[in-house]
Amino acid sequence: MTATVTLTDRYVDTAMRTVPEAQRADLAAELRASIEDQIEARVEQGEPHDSAERAVLTELGDPDKLAAGYTDRPLWLVGPRYFLDWWRLLKLLLYIVPACAAFGVALAMVLDGATFGEIVGALVPLLLSVVVHLAFWTTLVFVILERTGHDTMTSGPWTPDQLPEPRQKGVGLGDMITSLAFLAIMVGVVLWDLFVGFVPTEPGLSFLDPGLWPWWILALFAVMALEAVVAVVVYAIGRWTIPLAVANGILNLVIAVPALWLLFEGRLINPAYFPTIIPDDGAEVGQIVSIIVGFVIAGIAIWDTVDAALKAVRARRA
Amino acid sequence: MSESEILETHLQELRRGTVVLACLRLLETPGYGYGLLEELGERGFSTDANTLYPLLRRLEKQGFLTSEWNTEESRPRKFYRTSDAGLRLAGALTDDFRAIAAAIDALPEEN
Repeated sequence: MTATVTLTDRYVDTAMRTVPEAQRADLAAELRASIEDQIEARVEQGEPHDSAERAVLTELGDPDKLAAGYTDRPLWLVGPRYFLDWWRLLKLLLYIVPACAAFGVALAMVLDGATFGEIVGALVPLLLSVVVHLAFWTTLVFVILERTGHDTMTSGPWTPDQLPEPRQKGVGLGDMITSLAFLAIMVGVVLWDLFVGFVPTEPGLSFLDPGLWPWWILALFAVMALEAVVAVVVYAIGRWTIPLAVANGILNLVIAVPALWLLFEGRLINPAYFPTIIPDDGAEVGQIVSIIVGFVIAGIAIWDTVDAALKAVRARRA
Repeated sequence: MSESEILETHLQELRRGTVVLACLRLLETPGYGYGLLEELGERGFSTDANTLYPLLRRLEKQGFLTSEWNTEESRPRKFYRTSDAGLRLAGALTDDFRAIAAAIDALPEEN
């Protein structure tokens, strides 16, 4: 052994860093012998020792990679065995969690009296950190799974029964009847509320502001009649088209924007409603309910518009 | 990826299992890492050192090879030898390889 540290020494040391202690001495001796055999063979063919050593080590490549080969360690974060499980779970979580978190926090902040700017200012960093946390922790779990060698996440092999149902491309009679029935029920509920009332002990007490009758309510019914027309046209054509989806979105806007405006003006919900049925905390309950109603109106409008748009895009692709 | 690289990848995939088979058959007489690497090359199974050395370890761990240190010569070397299980595996692999070769011969003639 020479006193100076050779490239071979350094190579073997580096490779052994990541090898379990128990195998280290054995592997180091074998690797060193193999390297020296290879160098010797090159020197015998007239190559200087230094360049032979360099060539042999270059050919062996990155010592960490070699060590991973020796110890069967994966050189990837999430390999093919887990990739699909990881990707499906991550997508599912990203669809659900950020939306729920944003909705919950926004609702809580509005109830707490925060301004629009404050809510947006809180939501942006919240969404960023939720997405980063989701991606990080999900991936970490799979990295650990990958390295502890659990067989698979799903119990049992894949079978054709797990295939998803075909996506609905056409719109059937059932969809139209559902839409029309929903609109008819809404009309009935509004009229019953205004003229009969839902509180048995307080006949004639309506949830909606009585001042909305007749013009605001009739305008609402007119827009709902247009929505019924859209539902019938969708059924007649057999699918959602882009112009129909746009029309549907406009109708949703036409209902949601005035409704929200009336709500914030305090003209949508009967101001006497909650103080009458809950004498003590009526005003405060009314405040909270009107905020929740606002979220529900916006939520339904957005959901219905996006739903129709997605169906239109899907139907066009089909 | 250029055409020659694609060809190289396909050839590598085709040859992958044959190195295992060749090792198991050659190590019926005990051999050590570098000696085996040379012999494989001479017999037309050219392999890289960084593929062969981990492969020998893996086959040993799976019980198809046994090993022993030879310290009689100036340079101590780890000698591998095919175990009984290894011989059976080599037999199964050889049979399968012949079956594949026959199946390829039976494919429609290339023009």
